[in-house]
Amino acid sequence: MSVVAALRAATMPADRRERAVLDEAAKREVRRAVLTAVAVPGYQVPFGSREMPVARGWGSGGLQITLGIVGPDDVVKVYDQGEDGGVNAANLRRLIRDSEGVETTTDPRAATVIQTRHRVPEDELTEGQTLVLQVPVPEPLRGVERDMTELRRMHAEMDYARMWVSLYEDIVRNGVITRTTGYPCLVDGRYVIATTPIPRWDVPPLHDAKHLSLFGAGREKRIYAIPPHTDVEPLTFDDVPFEVEHAEQPCEACGSVADDGRAASYLVELPRADGTSRWVCSDTDWCTRQQVVNGRLAADAVEPLEEL
Amino acid sequence: MGYVAAKGGFEAIRAAEDLVRRRRAQADSAEVELDQIIDHFPALVDRVMGEGGLWDQRTAARAIRQAGGDVIEAAHIIRAHRATLARIGGCRPVHADEIDVLRRIVPAFREPPGPQLLGVTPDYTGRLLDSEDDRLAPPAVHDDQPQTATGQPAPSPAIRVGSRLLDVLRTMGELVDRRSTADPEPEDITRIPARPGAPRSALLSTMARAETGALVQLWYRNILGPDRNLHEVTLGEVRHGRLPVEMRHPHTGLPVRIGEVRVTEVEALEDLDGADEDRTKFDAGYGLVPGHNERKAIAMANLDIAVSRDNGASPLEQSVLMTTDGLDASGFLEHLKLPHYVTFRSMMERKQAMRRAAAAREARGDDESAGIPEVVA
Repeated sequence: MSVVAALRAATMPADRRERAVLDEAAKREVRRAVLTAVAVPGYQVPFGSREMPVARGWGSGGLQITLGIVGPDDVVKVYDQGEDGGVNAANLRRLIRDSEGVETTTDPRAATVIQTRHRVPEDELTEGQTLVLQVPVPEPLRGVERDMTELRRMHAEMDYARMWVSLYEDIVRNGVITRTTGYPCLVDGRYVIATTPIPRWDVPPLHDAKHLSLFGAGREKRIYAIPPHTDVEPLTFDDVPFEVEHAEQPCEACGSVADDGRAASYLVELPRADGTSRWVCSDTDWCTRQQVVNGRLAADAVEPLEEL
Repeated sequence: MGYVAAKGGFEAIRAAEDLVRRRRAQADSAEVELDQIIDHFPALVDRVMGEGGLWDQRTAARAIRQAGGDVIEAAHIIRAHRATLARIGGCRPVHADEIDVLRRIVPAFREPPGPQLLGVTPDYTGRLLDSEDDRLAPPAVHDDQPQTATGQPAPSPAIRVGSRLLDVLRTMGELVDRRSTADPEPEDITRIPARPGAPRSALLSTMARAETGALVQLWYRNILGPDRNLHEVTLGEVRHGRLPVEMRHPHTGLPVRIGEVRVTEVEALEDLDGADEDRTKFDAGYGLVPGHNERKAIAMANLDIAVSRDNGASPLEQSVLMTTDGLDASGFLEHLKLPHYVTFRSMMERKQAMRRAAAAREARGDDESAGIPEVVA
């Protein structure tokens, strides 16, 4: 046996999977950071973020959280922009499955852990489910301050005055608050967080939720959390209602409408060359199920996502 | 239209991976052996070991071959490989005076104490493409130089240098003494992310595995460009050599040599000229990087003293700590290739809201400067 093989045999658990991507000590570090984050909702906990097989900025933080918290009985959904079938989500799902041996699914109702890039499921999640969000930039005050020492002070002293001024100036200049995704929210009345680039549509489901939301920023090496049943308030003024991205027409595929007659889910635009557009649900799994419910698709016509 | 659950993801990945394999298989030339990469591209191997943060030539060569020569890709493969390895311990701290030098120059003096060894360097060769004759010419064999049993020139033995320039300058009273015992245990940046205000060991560790070009560019901005945190730097020691790696034996408690690494070490002497500085003396920056990578070690030493002099006045420390890692920078840059249509849709929605608000303002004949306009949903 070579020296390297001997060292490996001595330091790795015997049941370690061959394609394991993160060693057990690292997983423990991630879990400790997660526990700290859950104990202090909204606080950005620094952690020894490891380099992953996916590049920095491509979900290495979300991936570390998922790898750190899953056990063999977990069922994992991974999706990106609401789509399970995209290349990045497929790659991450394969990595997680091969590294940890968990089952995977596209149905959020069946998943115990959902790793997501920039969407929250249209389905309401329940107790025992964990949403792991991939975070490119965890710092909500980045637009008003660049110095990291000053940013630390602002969070530590709950001094968010410059953020409020910037929102006010936004309205004066533009007539509306122009924050797009990653809307800044006050968590548990204490820390302002960046809700990652999820659309404003996805902010209300974070408030007083039954599920746990974990936010992983691998490149910036921070983890933060929204425990279940925690207040999440988008920063806005008393006379300026928080606005989400409504679509005036329903999804072309499933046709689902809310009580106000507008689309029942977050839609994305598919432009045509002539400048007109089609609008469809971002959440492809939800959309497929609504198509069945709304009689547009036969239940037995739904093909499961092919696994690598 | 039918349902949109795209099944393309796995097929696309499979096709992409197949393309890579096919390109390799269809190449006319033979596949490159690891020994060839190690023997003939030593600078590349050293750079990847340095930016990957793992000393093992064969692993670096594997990563280079797998990455098709892309340095940052190779460094990424190395770092991700590190993440799969359990850490079994730490080595005995080694003093840089234990370097056995293969190359040593001291620009600050014509004849410093101790030997100067030009060593292996392309610095004084002409940068012209080799002719075939030049390339194939065998090395000269001189009678007074060491030879192997078969009459080939033997590699020069490494030399332990008796002194270093910083100590000489200190004895001459030329150097500000910034030596500190305040942070005896180096901060491990792979466990505690470095942030402004971190100890100097974190700054040096960050630079030791930073992307070479990032440090060079940051140096250039400082010496000639907009940043100007450097005045006039002269180099002291510039060394390339071998350092022993020793661990404490778990049973005997005695140090055991388990191997060696090569490093490049640089001292940078700054001519102090600041209003609040001791302008009668010099101050020094220090650079140490894995492998033979002189431009990186020189940039590192320069930036070390630049950050110290800057003392938080400018964003320099934050720039070094937060923007010089090759994987972080490239990964984040290239993430722009990922689908962003959810966020883009949200941006378009706000643009429409802004246009509606502007139109409503105009319809009302509102003066834009007359305070907060009525918000239109």
